[in-house]
Amino acid sequence: MNVDRRRFLGSAAGMAATAGVAADWLWPRHSVSYRRPRSFVAILNAAEYSEKIETLLMDGLRLFRLNLLGKAILLKPNMVEDLPGPVNTNANIIGAAARCFLRLGAARIAIGEGPGHQRDTELVVQAADLKPHLADRHIEFVDLNRDELVRVKLRANYSGLGELWLPRSVLDSDFVVSMPKVKTHHWAGVTLSLKNMFGIVPGMKYGWPKNLLHWHGIHESILDICATVPIHFVIADGITAMEGNGPLQGTARELRKIVLADDPVAADATCARLMGFDPLRVQHLSEGGRFLGNLRADRITMLAERAEVPICPFAVLPDFHYLLARADM
Amino acid sequence: MRLLLKWQFPDGSWPAFQGDSEGSWTTGLALSTLIAMNGPADSGARSLSWLLEERGKEGHWLWRWKFKTTDHSVRFDPDRFGWPWTSGSASWVIPTVFSVIALKQFTACNRRERAEKRIRLGVGMLLDRVCLGGGWNAGNSVVYGVPLPAHVEATAIALLALQDEKRTPAIQASLGWLKQRSSSIESVESLAWCILSLFVYQEPVEHLKARLATLIGDGHDIRNNATLATAILALKCGEMIHPFEVLR
Repeated sequence: MNVDRRRFLGSAAGMAATAGVAADWLWPRHSVSYRRPRSFVAILNAAEYSEKIETLLMDGLRLFRLNLLGKAILLKPNMVEDLPGPVNTNANIIGAAARCFLRLGAARIAIGEGPGHQRDTELVVQAADLKPHLADRHIEFVDLNRDELVRVKLRANYSGLGELWLPRSVLDSDFVVSMPKVKTHHWAGVTLSLKNMFGIVPGMKYGWPKNLLHWHGIHESILDICATVPIHFVIADGITAMEGNGPLQGTARELRKIVLADDPVAADATCARLMGFDPLRVQHLSEGGRFLGNLRADRITMLAERAEVPICPFAVLPDFHYLLARADM
Repeated sequence: MRLLLKWQFPDGSWPAFQGDSEGSWTTGLALSTLIAMNGPADSGARSLSWLLEERGKEGHWLWRWKFKTTDHSVRFDPDRFGWPWTSGSASWVIPTVFSVIALKQFTACNRRERAEKRIRLGVGMLLDRVCLGGGWNAGNSVVYGVPLPAHVEATAIALLALQDEKRTPAIQASLGWLKQRSSSIESVESLAWCILSLFVYQEPVEHLKARLATLIGDGHDIRNNATLATAILALKCGEMIHPFEVLR
């Protein structure tokens, strides 16, 4: 390569970078920022789904000093299909979380989900064995696929969708808790608290699955949805997680952790590290780290156990080998 | 009927719900309702035009080319496309079924070539997406080389669109799968669709209707109007015009 050509390429790259920065400045892609100086995460060890989970969860939640008095809380678990295996957030964790939040002063709890593939939500609720946890009159289940809808202008513009119809039960909540199942995902790499919010998009309007979001970009849609409906807290079910061809056909992976966080990006970054992935390589996480929450480990305070990289990272499909963290991370 | 006509858009389509401004998957359902209730022909004709124009996004030549040449993560024939849930997305089983049924019903006495071609394309798409072992998932049968399991509701609904087609091995296998699954289903919505579907295939449904009635009880626990309406149609199956029946 001669000097002129090298200089030309260098100048072109510099101009492109400058143009990118200028474009972001002139046409910002998000109108909100939920990043705070510090975020808090707690990793809880839990060997199995048992009655002890409620005590464990309560102790974990108390570390965060949440002000929930009189609040209407929406728990958004990940309940996709009536399939065997670790597909859905475990009902014992959902039920335990609902009771803990009531004990912490919440006025009422709505467990809301709009399954992405299965149109018969009752079938998913039955298969997940959630019904026994709905006995308390302050805890109700809301089918977000068929809730009353409100047209909402999106607070970020990555997908180009501009606006979405969203369920009133979600918009009227004071405190949104995303409760993902820790899984790999054959389109998005991982499905954690941010991806879990696809479930608030109503099937009644966008179908089963919510395919329009795929055409507009999965990562881009995740960013737009989470900018518009902020997640206040995360309880990630990583006791039995899923690796390989997730989110439906993968295999069980015993991680034996529950991750709590007051920041969805910090929660997902921590989960990704527990899975042996580099969070910076997950597109919606690296971009979300600019405005949805804290991605960098030095801005995350661990209230309980540290996120060690597992000895054996989660298995991924060949297309996602790039997610694997380097050994020196 | 008055409300149904009021909510129809000038282009012939219907929104997914009152207040939405885009045509949607409900258009096929609305047209079937219009036919069952002997609604105005011009309204039906406009709806027919919209259905003939609408297609899944993968039906565009550029996407067909992409799925044929570079993107093989999902196994399907891109030349066979149906209808989307909402414009701008791909074809899926249930919106395709409702559109095929409506087209078959509306053109039963006078079917032109264009409607026949579109029906064949939709039926072809449904048959292309049958799960291994019978039945239908939401849209695809194999993703990343792994077969997807069939869904009860999607299978029951898909069979409705194929009731007048030749009983191919795929249809027979799907019917067998549904009969077997219907004996253990405990959900109102899926069981109601099973009854509506098995009835048009002249399978016995009285025992399923009895179970559905027990599941419904006084109806207080059913908070979804679509489920309630489907359940009532299923319970009345055989006593009134079947809204999804296609004349042979």
